[in-house]
Amino acid sequence: MKALSRFRIFMFVQGIIFFIPQFAMGQTQPQDAIRENTPNVHALINSRIVQSPDRIIEKGTIILRDGIITDVGESVKIPEDARIWDYSGLTVYPGFIESYMPVKLEEKTGSKNGTTSLKPAYWNPNVHPEESAFNCAPLKDTDLQALRNQGITAAVLIPEDGIFSGSSVLISLGEGTANSQVLKQNVAQNIHFSRPPRSGELPVYPASQMGVIALIRQTFLDADWYDKAQRAYVLNQSSQIRPETNLALQALALSLKEKQPFAFRTFDDLNSLRALKVAREFGLNVWLVGNGEEYRQLTPLKNANVPLIIPVNFPPAPDVDSPEDAVQLSLRELNHWDSAPLNARFLKNADIPFSFSSVDLKNKSDFLKNIRKTVERGLPPEDALAALTMVPATVLGMDDKLGSIDTGKLAHLIVCYGDIFAKENSIFSLWINGKIYEIQKKPQFDLAGAWDLNLQLPQQNLMQELVLSGKAGKLSGALKSDSLKISVNKIALDFSRISMVFLGDSLGLKGMVRLSGKAEANHLTGSGMLADGSVFKWNAKRKSAMESKNDTRKKPNPDLNEPLSVPLDAYAYRHIPAQQPIVFVQNATIWTSSEKGLLEEADLLIVNGKITEVGKNLTAPAKALIIDARGKHVTPGLIDAHSHTAISQGVNEGTQAVTSEVRIEDVINPEDIGLYRELAGGLTIINQLHGSANPIGGQNSVIKLRWGADAEGLRVRDAIPGIKFALGENVKQSNWGEKFTTRYPQTRMGVEQIIFDRFKAAQDYELTWQKYNERRDKTGIIPPRRDLELEALVEILNGKRLIHSHSYRQDEILMLTRLAEYFNFQIGTFQHVLEGYKVAEALAQHGAGASTFSDWWAYKFEVYDAIPYNGAIMHEAGVLVSFNSDDNELARRMNLEAAKAVKYGGVPEQEALKFVTLNPAKQLRIDHRVGSLEKGKDGDFVVWSGHPLSSFSRCEQTWIEGRKYFDLENDLQMRDTVEKERQRLIQKVLISQNKPAGGLK
Amino acid sequence: MKKYLNKYSLSSRHSGNLLAGIHGSVNTQISGITSILSVKNILFFTLAISCLYLAQAHASDEIPGNKQTHPIALTGGTVHTVSGETLVNATLLFDNGKITAIGSTMTLSDSTEKIDISGKHVYPGLIAANSRVGLVEIDAVRSTQDYAEVTQIKPNVRVESALNPDSELLPVLRANGITMTHTIPMGGLLSGTSAMVMMDGWTWEDLTLRAPIGLYVNWPTMAPFRGNLNEKQKSEFLKKRDSQIQQLKDAFADARAYSKAKEAESLKTSVYHKSDIRWEAMMPVLNKEIPVLLEASGIREIEASIDWAMSEDLDVVLMTGTDVRFALDLLKEKNIPVIYKGTLALPLRRYEPYDTPFTVPKLMSDSGVRYCISGSGTPFEAAHERNLPYQAAMAVAYGLSPEEALKAITLYPAQILGVADRVGALEVGKDATLIVTDGDPLDIRTQVEMEYIQGRAVQLTSRHTRLNDKYKTKYARMK
Repeated sequence: MKALSRFRIFMFVQGIIFFIPQFAMGQTQPQDAIRENTPNVHALINSRIVQSPDRIIEKGTIILRDGIITDVGESVKIPEDARIWDYSGLTVYPGFIESYMPVKLEEKTGSKNGTTSLKPAYWNPNVHPEESAFNCAPLKDTDLQALRNQGITAAVLIPEDGIFSGSSVLISLGEGTANSQVLKQNVAQNIHFSRPPRSGELPVYPASQMGVIALIRQTFLDADWYDKAQRAYVLNQSSQIRPETNLALQALALSLKEKQPFAFRTFDDLNSLRALKVAREFGLNVWLVGNGEEYRQLTPLKNANVPLIIPVNFPPAPDVDSPEDAVQLSLRELNHWDSAPLNARFLKNADIPFSFSSVDLKNKSDFLKNIRKTVERGLPPEDALAALTMVPATVLGMDDKLGSIDTGKLAHLIVCYGDIFAKENSIFSLWINGKIYEIQKKPQFDLAGAWDLNLQLPQQNLMQELVLSGKAGKLSGALKSDSLKISVNKIALDFSRISMVFLGDSLGLKGMVRLSGKAEANHLTGSGMLADGSVFKWNAKRKSAMESKNDTRKKPNPDLNEPLSVPLDAYAYRHIPAQQPIVFVQNATIWTSSEKGLLEEADLLIVNGKITEVGKNLTAPAKALIIDARGKHVTPGLIDAHSHTAISQGVNEGTQAVTSEVRIEDVINPEDIGLYRELAGGLTIINQLHGSANPIGGQNSVIKLRWGADAEGLRVRDAIPGIKFALGENVKQSNWGEKFTTRYPQTRMGVEQIIFDRFKAAQDYELTWQKYNERRDKTGIIPPRRDLELEALVEILNGKRLIHSHSYRQDEILMLTRLAEYFNFQIGTFQHVLEGYKVAEALAQHGAGASTFSDWWAYKFEVYDAIPYNGAIMHEAGVLVSFNSDDNELARRMNLEAAKAVKYGGVPEQEALKFVTLNPAKQLRIDHRVGSLEKGKDGDFVVWSGHPLSSFSRCEQTWIEGRKYFDLENDLQMRDTVEKERQRLIQKVLISQNKPAGGLK
Repeated sequence: MKKYLNKYSLSSRHSGNLLAGIHGSVNTQISGITSILSVKNILFFTLAISCLYLAQAHASDEIPGNKQTHPIALTGGTVHTVSGETLVNATLLFDNGKITAIGSTMTLSDSTEKIDISGKHVYPGLIAANSRVGLVEIDAVRSTQDYAEVTQIKPNVRVESALNPDSELLPVLRANGITMTHTIPMGGLLSGTSAMVMMDGWTWEDLTLRAPIGLYVNWPTMAPFRGNLNEKQKSEFLKKRDSQIQQLKDAFADARAYSKAKEAESLKTSVYHKSDIRWEAMMPVLNKEIPVLLEASGIREIEASIDWAMSEDLDVVLMTGTDVRFALDLLKEKNIPVIYKGTLALPLRRYEPYDTPFTVPKLMSDSGVRYCISGSGTPFEAAHERNLPYQAAMAVAYGLSPEEALKAITLYPAQILGVADRVGALEVGKDATLIVTDGDPLDIRTQVEMEYIQGRAVQLTSRHTRLNDKYKTKYARMK
């Protein structure tokens, strides 16, 4: 019986069936009971018809025949065989389309640990594009009902598990077998742009966002290769190895070939930009399934010009009841609470089309409610309707069947008690494929108010005022006149039948009086009975002037006048600061970090973002912005060669020993407040590194702290690409706990071997491609598979990518140096390199940079021999030394870290400052433009209140390329703004929850 | 007197337990090894052995300072008394480990060793007021962690008997002028009692300047940090929180009941009650001889924990971070001093000004709240406690006066932790625990050149200087 209560989509399995209305049955199904052949012809007359957002018939008729709209108009000939439905006073809309309804796959594919599936699947269990929503677990009828209650008549079902989760299916939400409800198969391939949840004890690749992106990228390349390989093999089967069979790649290759849409499900605003980037990279036909934060990225979304599906899951009001609660809330949370219902309106204003989706709503009954809220906050109802009908119909390629009320389209209709976007109007019924689904049979009379009650008693007409209050089911009332009040009891409203009882004595009617009759919005009529059994007529008329409820949407909406401006997060800039054409810093003590050394009472001239002069007694050009820095010190912008600031959702892809395919540049987070805080400490450039969880980690990214820029705008493109390697305890999982004892490597011996083997693999890879490329005739030759992991290693071998290797002990430092020398490339930097002082000569000879901590030690066994003299010793031995932070807090005071090179080992002050300016610039191969204050370099500098190595000095201004990114004054102003904005929003939350009498604007 | 007896009996009971403890631990180790072998994990076996070796056999090479045998006069330097004025070109005289004179002119006996420190500066030794030094060597190596005992209520646990005098950390800290750490146990709700630990000595008894200093109370978090818990999680959180607070209350109620019963017993008005070393250890707290060290992070925690401490009529030292700025009036009113857990920290919340942690000491100073500046107190921080002066210096860069900042790591922690009769300032009669520097210790570039702990000249070498020397030799030979 259980199966009967469920609706099931199926493709191969026969016959799990819900109700079997005759018109909804699969045509191939045998009949085993009496046939049902009720004619399916309907005429819906006298309704207001909203055919589409811009076409409205005030009173018209719709003809439905066998599930198709055969006619619609003001005066339509009603077929003789039609059943008539009088819809006077009702409004008919096209059925709503849900473009994104996730459903769980019944069985996950892919081989699990210890079992071998016979299905030739992709190696990674998160990739199963061959799956289809057809294989989803049975849908509960209550779920379908929940969608129908919101006016949704058709929905796209999306397999929700995995990264490549499979293809989606468009179905009608009617009852019946799947066979009859499917409207379109293979609607789109679906990609989930997020880390899959951990299943099992050990984390599975990919565990970071950059890993997800890398996996998506490699999978597309694999699909492309698969197709080529299969085609080549067909031509030439006798002399090459048969390429693997892989249903996932086969399905994906087909989707690519057919230019099928790819729906990317995204989870925050930056996430969606990243999805767009990947989609562009592969020239995909992309749909973006949004996250409610679209208003934060209007320009890129506008430029992307792709179909957008947005949820309407608005956050609940944050808890601000006490200041102690409110203090925990970020400005962004407060902003989002306020702006989420404006999201659609922002998009509309920016002229970006979108569809609404109920995805992410825990309670589907919030769908229409929240859309109404959106309309209340200023989204024109026409646009709301379009986002529910024509827009999704067009995106789905179903605008010939769905989306409007037009002849020839499917009979997907909503019948509503009035304007569907007005709060008080419920949905009366739906038509899906010509079958009616009743939603809200009872008109929602709001009987509350004052009525003129007329009791037509046998002897007299008695007029009384009847005051009703409460809602249907909980009505209470009283008869009132100047002098008396009689309570009316047992007021019941059932459908349109009303009944009530009151004690008649004080009206001169002995005993209990009963009234019953018919209720309409403004009229009540019926008959009553006195205590003696005599019957009389009665009626009541609504007193208040407000006759109809249909006018409410015409009320002036104060929210419409809200200025529409995207809220800023705390300390955020809307744009990068303007470039000052000419900046002249005068009378400063200038630490040039160049051969010019330290200049007292000196000047610095920056034109169009570049340094044009540094020296004494320069003349300020006309129109220069002059910074008088008398008594102050100026240094180059500080550089941190080891940072994890501004990286979204995972610094490590530590699930595999080798992950050279993952890229930090894919997950730069330009909104990380760390960037601003670091600017406030004089930092201007950071080397964003992958973590140290595996021997060969991910690719790095070098960025300037151009606060206010987007991810791409932060990047320093002429830095040589780099990659993180790591050695020692972290990569052999020494301190990871007892579960982590099986991944190769578990010893330093193994660390060497896996790196060695992978470079050998990279050599093999390069050779294979060379051979293939050298072939004149490639017909019928299976091409090598592109492998992004190995390609990065090939770049290292060819000197096009620098290794930044986390390392502590001298043995491993020397090991990697020798390994690099074997393969004839140079290491970029050793990071941390805390025993570098033990093998400084080898580092110097090899030419590897050393990017070290100033004084950290003893936090694990391999750093027990770390000493603060490390930097000084290596420096003296001729190694290029920098100090790094590896820490968002330490990164705010790199100048003081440099001072430790003076303290421990007596490095001269100017040389010490180079540890955080010129030297890291050289290590990152960007010293041609930054790292020192020299003619021709970028105008990146810091104004300090005093000596930059003194603990008592503070950073007053930080400039990058002639733009002032940090300034004490400006910071104070922003604090003020932040505080005011927070208090304003907190007040707004409080008011929304506790509306004081008198109302608010 | 009663307190002393209690403590004494506690100590003797401890030593009584010591043998049993060792016996027990040997057994534990053997069975531990067997079980490791039984899972055939050779790797862990070797790891365990190496850790044992590390923990038990390692000793720093520095030799503790010799007891002061004759008067020593530091002459010609600038004496920063901290509690009083700064004397230029002055002499500081100490004998038998105590400061005997400070002044511009004084007659020195022939037996006095005169050390010319012209151009140099003398300061009281710096005090790290919140640390795990002595209880941890390498935090990632479990066998070297001794800072957190199991169970929630363990007021009887005391740090001093577990201090490792041969820790390599001690000479490293000392070399930068940190002469004392206030070492606090952690874990659970009532974690045990702390000690003022000197960075020089042969045994833990030598190291201990005074113990117990305070009883550490880790106040539970009052509200989920962010509002993203669902209703069930919220109620579970609150249930756990309430039970933790109840445990704390119960501990104090039980300790008072114990005290009362023992009082009656001593007056022979009741029968004998079996001993409970937990409640015995709490007598000094109940008698307000030592404070509770109340760690409370946010404003809710600060308010709730102080309410509780007041209702228990306790002496309180609050250990907290930047949210203390919301509680200044309360702290002033109740005269509760604060151990401020460091300026070198990030703001707690995204919207807070970037310099919030830097500016709070000035706010406390301006509002008249008693405070001192420490580090974060994490086990990681133990090895890096030498950077304490820079915690204070950052407050100077953001508004605090340099004099105040210096007091915040010398005199103020001594006062707050009840050892100002011995240390924290250069005054006649106090311990000759002092440093001689070539400049302001708050400046990173300053070097500590000499150091005395209770008059003992201590070596400023360390594992770091030794390794520095060793490898400098390597490169000298290569030239």
